[in-house]
Amino acid sequence: MHPPRIRIPPLATTCRSCLSLRSRPSRFLPLTQHRPASHASQGRANKAAPGPGKRLGAKKGASELVVPGNIIFRQRGTHWFPGENCGMGRDHTIFAKEKGYVTFYKDPAAHPKRKYIGVVFQRGEKLPVPRNAPRRRRLGLVGRERVLSTIATAEGMEAGGLVESQGTMRQEGMKTRSKVPALRKVELRPGYQYRESNWSIGRAAERANVRVREYKRGDRFLAWRKLNARKARNAERRALGSRKKKGSSK
Amino acid sequence: MALPTYTIRPALRCLRRAPALGSGSISSSHSFKTTTSKQDEATVETTTSNTPPPPPLDLDPNTVSTRREERLLLRTKGVHPIGSRRRRAALQSSDNVPFEQMPYQCFQEARKVLQEDRESKLEQITEMRRRIARWQNIPAEECGGEVAKKGKLVRMQKYLEELKILADINDPVIKKRFEDGMGDMNRPIYRHLADQKWRAYKRLLLMQRISQMHIVPDILAHIDPTAEVSLGFGRRNVQPGEFVDSRVSEMPARLNIQVFDKGERFVSIAVMDPDVPDEERDTFGSRCHFLAVNIPVSPTSTSVPLSKLNKDNHIVYPWLPPYAQKGAPYHRLAVFVIQQDKTSFSADGRVDVETLRKSMGRRRERFSFRRFTQGKNMHPIGMHLFRSKWDDGTDGVVQRADIEGFNVEFTRKKPEKLPYKKKDGARYR
Repeated sequence: MHPPRIRIPPLATTCRSCLSLRSRPSRFLPLTQHRPASHASQGRANKAAPGPGKRLGAKKGASELVVPGNIIFRQRGTHWFPGENCGMGRDHTIFAKEKGYVTFYKDPAAHPKRKYIGVVFQRGEKLPVPRNAPRRRRLGLVGRERVLSTIATAEGMEAGGLVESQGTMRQEGMKTRSKVPALRKVELRPGYQYRESNWSIGRAAERANVRVREYKRGDRFLAWRKLNARKARNAERRALGSRKKKGSSK
Repeated sequence: MALPTYTIRPALRCLRRAPALGSGSISSSHSFKTTTSKQDEATVETTTSNTPPPPPLDLDPNTVSTRREERLLLRTKGVHPIGSRRRRAALQSSDNVPFEQMPYQCFQEARKVLQEDRESKLEQITEMRRRIARWQNIPAEECGGEVAKKGKLVRMQKYLEELKILADINDPVIKKRFEDGMGDMNRPIYRHLADQKWRAYKRLLLMQRISQMHIVPDILAHIDPTAEVSLGFGRRNVQPGEFVDSRVSEMPARLNIQVFDKGERFVSIAVMDPDVPDEERDTFGSRCHFLAVNIPVSPTSTSVPLSKLNKDNHIVYPWLPPYAQKGAPYHRLAVFVIQQDKTSFSADGRVDVETLRKSMGRRRERFSFRRFTQGKNMHPIGMHLFRSKWDDGTDGVVQRADIEGFNVEFTRKKPEKLPYKKKDGARYR
């Protein structure tokens, strides 16, 4: 892998040869020489500059107070896994889901090798909780009295296809189901919309007494008629379109 | 819409029904003989099908194979069809020859081998019974102490039960009867087959739901179901973990408890809700929705409708309809079947309802299932679960049941922020 050696003859002999062979000056060697690189000068080989630091690592220490959304650990890959009351983000960031105190622990029963980050509600609580102990759960809700107008009364009973008969709730059968459902009262729906429910809107056609031919599976005669009608329509449209095209080109 | 069968294909129907009609005479009734007599029947049918009233069908639970016929059978005769629809359809074109008369030599030879095996197993069973009787009479000192003797007897009994199953497990008739749903649950072989069938899918599903919904650490420490429990409300069957409308679960559930070991025993049934919001302590409490004791259950008597239980003899807490307040997370309702083991102070395992009622008082709230089963010779043998959440019918249900404090709506607590840390002043100079 050595570069080819160029043997340079001593000057005297060169001069001699010059003098003797004046007619052939091309035998002089070029003054500038090319020597190919033996080592890459750029790129990975020369330890590219490291770039800005990504600020990875622990953002909260053990038993430090965190609130929901606080970032506990930034990492590339999963050096740490989310444990109790923690979540993992798109870039494997571990964050808190509950207010509490950070704990770093291992849970050999769940996984023998993983390291977990968890959040406990009381300072000094240990993780993991014993396998058969009930989970510690936080309600995280506040109750308030409901406004009376939002309480549905007995009229909500018809929903779900259930009717009351002989003191018990029964599934509405084909016989008991009324043919055309009456328009239901508009009500406050999710997203602050005052409107009737979707199933009620879906039966609007029946309410308007729109009659539709009953679908019959395998009715080839109807299919044939429809096909012919469609073909005729298409032919007509094609004829129209071609005429237009001609007109536009002129 | 599909046309009724008797109007579309009279010829096919005639063909289909021919062996079924001839099934009375077992002696390999080849359909060739009966064709002449069947033909005029077919003509009769075609003529009648033109007239509006259809001919009355002779519906056989063994051979009905269309949904319509099944429904008709159930409606007119009140009989459920036997086996799978595919099997019933296959039976229509089979000669229904019993296994003993099948004209296949290899099959008959194989049956002989199985028969011999069965006979040898039966001999072993009688031998084992004899041995057990002998060991019971031997004094404990001679066979190395009371514990050793008991262990030996238990092992022998276990082997005897194993032999009973092995004697019948290869019998094609037994397999057929079990698949037809005609198995007698008093016999160990049918209980064994039913147990295997339950463990193949339903128990796996139940165990998955138990772990997914954290029933095991939340309500009790461990459960190993050995009895199949199915649950329904009225006509509606409920799959484990299904959401049930509050109006549906307003009436008491009906349970079906299939135990796979012999003998009658008493069970308690408890319905627990471990997701009751407890705002003061900012956590969840539990509530008992139903508690009944001393319910007799055996492999053959399986149906337990909770509404039909005797108030005085069984029920500690009557059925409280499951409900969830608006905005609260869904409630899990776990139905436990708890076997009451025989003890020295109650020979049959009965529990005194009156004392239990007194000790429990009226405290459904904060009912602890662990405390209830601890130290009372009660162990859960089966369970089922469903879920309930606030829906349109909850208000009506709650008002009808006179439940107080339902008029609450839960909203999320505003998340607190960490206190702002002011940086030291030197940085801003």
